[in-house]
Amino acid sequence: MLTERELDHFLDSFLAIPGEEPASREISSEAEENLEEYQLPTDGLIIRQIEKDGKVGRRTWFALVLMLLIVPALLYLSVRIFHGKKYMISSLIVVFAAMLPFFMVFEGRKPKAREIMVIAVLAALGVAGRAAFFMVPSFKPVAAFVILTGISFGGEAGFLVGCLIMLISNMFMGQGPWTPWQMFSFGIIGFFAGILYKKGILKARKADLCIYGFLSVVLIYGGIMNPASILMAYGHITKESLLAFYISGLPVDLVHAASTVVFLCIMSRPLLTKLERIKAKYGLIQR
Amino acid sequence: MKKTERKAETFEASDTFSRCHPMLNFFYFAVVLIFTMFSQHPLILAVSYAGAVSYGILLNGAGKTLRQSCFFTLPALLIVALLNPMFNHYGVTMLYYIESSGNWVTLEALIYGVVLGTVMFVVIQWFSCYNQVMTSDKFVYLFGRIIPALSLVLSMALRFVPEFLHQLKVIRNGQKGMGRDVSEGNLFRRIRYGLNILSILITWALENAIETSDSMKSRGYGLPERTAFSIYRFTNRDKILGTVMAFLSMIFTVGIAKGAAYASYNPRILLAGFTIQGRTSPVSAGSLLTAATYLCYGLFCFLPVILELTEQIHLKNSRKHAGADIGMTYRRIYEELEQEG
Amino acid sequence: MNIVEICDFCFAYPDSSKRVLDHTKLKIKEGTLNIICGRSGCGKSTLLRHLKSALAPYGKTQGEILYKGKSLAETDHRTQSQEIGFVMQDPDNQIVTDKVWHELAFGLESLGYDSETIRLRVAEMASYFGIHQWFYKNVSELSGGQKQLLNLAAVMAMHPSLLILDEPTSQLDPIAASDFLETVKKINRDIGTTVILTEHRLQEILPYADQVYVMADGRIQMQGTPGEVGAGLHDADKGMFLSMPVPVQIFSAVEGTGECPLTVSQGRKWLGEYVKDHPQIPTDIKKTKAASGLTEPAIQAKDLWFRYEKDSQDVVRDLSLQINKGEFYALVGGNGTGKSTTLSLLSRVNQPYRGRIRLYGRDLRSYKDKELYFGCLGVLPQNPQSIFLKKTVLEDLYSVIGGKKERMSLEYQSQMKKEKAIEGMVSLTKLEGLLERHPYDLSGGEQQRLALAKVLLLRPKILLMDEPTKGMDGEYKEELGKILKKLQSHGMTIFMISHDIEFVAEYADRVGLFFEGNIVTENDVNSFFAGNNFYTTAANRMARQYFPYAITGKDVVACLQNGN
Repeated sequence: MLTERELDHFLDSFLAIPGEEPASREISSEAEENLEEYQLPTDGLIIRQIEKDGKVGRRTWFALVLMLLIVPALLYLSVRIFHGKKYMISSLIVVFAAMLPFFMVFEGRKPKAREIMVIAVLAALGVAGRAAFFMVPSFKPVAAFVILTGISFGGEAGFLVGCLIMLISNMFMGQGPWTPWQMFSFGIIGFFAGILYKKGILKARKADLCIYGFLSVVLIYGGIMNPASILMAYGHITKESLLAFYISGLPVDLVHAASTVVFLCIMSRPLLTKLERIKAKYGLIQR
Repeated sequence: MKKTERKAETFEASDTFSRCHPMLNFFYFAVVLIFTMFSQHPLILAVSYAGAVSYGILLNGAGKTLRQSCFFTLPALLIVALLNPMFNHYGVTMLYYIESSGNWVTLEALIYGVVLGTVMFVVIQWFSCYNQVMTSDKFVYLFGRIIPALSLVLSMALRFVPEFLHQLKVIRNGQKGMGRDVSEGNLFRRIRYGLNILSILITWALENAIETSDSMKSRGYGLPERTAFSIYRFTNRDKILGTVMAFLSMIFTVGIAKGAAYASYNPRILLAGFTIQGRTSPVSAGSLLTAATYLCYGLFCFLPVILELTEQIHLKNSRKHAGADIGMTYRRIYEELEQEG
Repeated sequence: MNIVEICDFCFAYPDSSKRVLDHTKLKIKEGTLNIICGRSGCGKSTLLRHLKSALAPYGKTQGEILYKGKSLAETDHRTQSQEIGFVMQDPDNQIVTDKVWHELAFGLESLGYDSETIRLRVAEMASYFGIHQWFYKNVSELSGGQKQLLNLAAVMAMHPSLLILDEPTSQLDPIAASDFLETVKKINRDIGTTVILTEHRLQEILPYADQVYVMADGRIQMQGTPGEVGAGLHDADKGMFLSMPVPVQIFSAVEGTGECPLTVSQGRKWLGEYVKDHPQIPTDIKKTKAASGLTEPAIQAKDLWFRYEKDSQDVVRDLSLQINKGEFYALVGGNGTGKSTTLSLLSRVNQPYRGRIRLYGRDLRSYKDKELYFGCLGVLPQNPQSIFLKKTVLEDLYSVIGGKKERMSLEYQSQMKKEKAIEGMVSLTKLEGLLERHPYDLSGGEQQRLALAKVLLLRPKILLMDEPTKGMDGEYKEELGKILKKLQSHGMTIFMISHDIEFVAEYADRVGLFFEGNIVTENDVNSFFAGNNFYTTAANRMARQYFPYAITGKDVVACLQNGN
């Protein structure tokens, strides 16, 4: 606490016009300015798991198992009924069915007001983020956002946020047959991020996150969306068309993956710290 | 942002079909889309396309709809159509031999490509109508009964999105006033400023949302037996329309199941009702059923347009009466004044 | 019958030994309108939140709260949700869903009513509160006042018997605020709902209260009818005093006798009698503040025109404005007249499509960004939260001047050590002891001062502020006013837009009235308010017959004490 006189003195000297031109003293080179908001611990872990048990919730496993049961069953049925034709329609049904267990599990456990709120806010932030960067094609923060959500709030939340971001942003930008595919692929990216983190395979370390981000976009998003667009366009998949689509889609996927890596590299620490604060402050730790 | 504003208005300014119960809207689009994706018969597709385009014109205006079709969707269709024979070489009618890959380009694959492209084309056309009719609140309502928690999440998120976009602008202006504008400085600085803005927004959103959840709890969220309210009422007109829609779709479902729209392109082109290269389709429904199928499907596809036109005629008639009355009154007053003068 | 009884209630936050509530005792009668007042941090918000279990903060409690004779802890969630309505400060944060109609129905949905009942209730509420015109709208299209009214209606739809309002008008402009309070009064009178309210703007609601409670340090210090409390204020602490209506302030400052005046009209009557009883008071006093006499321009704006979209209306029309070096200029006027837009033009966030702004005689457009914002213009946005970046106050302050490393940078071009600069700024804005806190954990007034400190660290010569007193109570306002005066005495030019005419009257030198994109009239602060009949301070309205140039409570008191 300064006295009144010290304060006067301080203001006079602080607000005074600097005697020498600022250019004469060295202005720091901008490259060394760091983008970070927080100090990094030595082991590089941004956040630490609060419960060390590494357990994934029973319900989350249940949803996954249900999905793994339903999808092949439906695929088999579609082959039986449609005799390997009508791929488009049966694949849409399969995608819907794959998302269903997650939705049902979420509904079934009667989520609390705060959980609902967090998911809604994160989804809306993702949509706003997607809208904010809409000028730059396929440079989107969504995947990074979904991954971090999955890590911080668990696989289920990651799945839901991923799904909702795509559903809602398509409500603003226009729905199409691609909506369920996008929903599913982002959902599953968030889901696996959550599960791998809980199992201790994916660490909350920058490099790990970036690698996961890159791979998930190229393999999961690309792996789902490319066949999906073939289905949407041709109704069935052949080896040549798959290859052609992968190759032609690769540049776009790579830009997308690279943007995800950039976002994860810069945003992972501040964002995870923010999410952890919210969790701690309001007792939102997943059971 | 513009789009959301328009969506908000659609409740008052929209066509007749949009004002019907959301359940009917959803049912309609589900049926139309499923049948469009399901069928590969050119006649069905043509009818579907005509319905979609006319409804699109009704909703979005002729200029926009046609511009969209010609400049965006048509090229995509052509690409799809032309690429198909490159990947697929089934069929019996050889057209051209590609030496590099040693494959034939066949007529069947070409035609099938066109059909597939058309399916895509028509689906997209329908979706542009869907985006107009199925506004977010209808969507939230429809799923409010089946998945209440998720539909609440959806409703909340839809409330947050415009607020966040607005706040993004506020934050950006605040940063600009501190000399940290995203359009200033080198790329490195710009990225940092841009991410700072995002970071401020995230904190702001997360911290303030806690109060939102307090408000939810304080208004009883979490009590068992939550109900879902909606302002949509299932009126008598909705009942009639629903019955008609169900009836129509039943007939053409039966018809199509019986083979009224059979289509196959591999290895030969076989279409129900047509004789191509001297062959007819192996299955086909009776001619009466076929006619009924196409008639019903056509009616179904044009249903929104028909509804809108009939309502416009009704409105015009009722207005004519009102107008005539007022005109008569004024004329009489005028004549009386004339007589007095 | 007592609807709420608080018996010796104590509360402390988990990791703090200080009791926020300390043996609080309170009895609220059914059907009454109750006001709890007290300075910020006296525990009134905490007390209100404890009246509803779902909102009660975590911590150690002792004692009991009875609702309708039954312990609140034993009253189930359903009863509490239905019967105890709670409206919070921020209009935006309380809204849950995206549509107005859905928001009205939200509580009823939770309670499990069927569609028919909800339809009826919603229709009833929409009609009573005049919401039917915007019933189908998205909530994002509403104004702040409409949003808060919607929050109130959404709570009232559940037919509560107790309505708790925690500073509900602090984020609203004066007109929306008085509309809102009017509605609260109406609910209390028409429907008989018991109301418990905390408020900064006591002027309008205090005269109608049945009971007023004054809180300090977690205890109820004084209670009684508004008149009794007003009369008993002589020995109350200062923070409390500042948030009382001006007539009460004047009354207790001169230690008046008789019944305490609560409204302006009562105050006028009382003042007349007081002057009659004290004939020695001179009534021909001229201005109490001299005109500043500064004429050297810092900002000159000439013939500005601005609109947001190409085909929208002009928001700023033919505006000319001069702000002199070293003066404190305030721009007042109604909502949506373009004041904030004017500020954005002066700070070059937006650019006028016609006209020119000169800053120290040089065209504003010719300044480079770093010249302009680092060391010349400081812009304090309306919502301080929109510039908080880091997780502690200290880090946030350092972030403005390019991190902790001692070096010159674009943002920081002073010879002073950064540590020193921050120490001085923290001392100026009284943020000591808060440096390790998260910015969002600060109170409204502290957040505003943190934002001010951040802006000042860029060493501006001109400070532009957008409604800096929004949501603040009397004490915080006084603190802010002192800081601004100090800055002004060190040569800073200050430009402020505000709804808060009491604050303007107290601290500004020159005032302009903004209307429809233009300044209608401007004058030095005394002449400005003395010349207006309607748009003037409560103190002036009360005393203008005798002391036309007295515009603040302090002025009036000074005039009255002149005679002694």
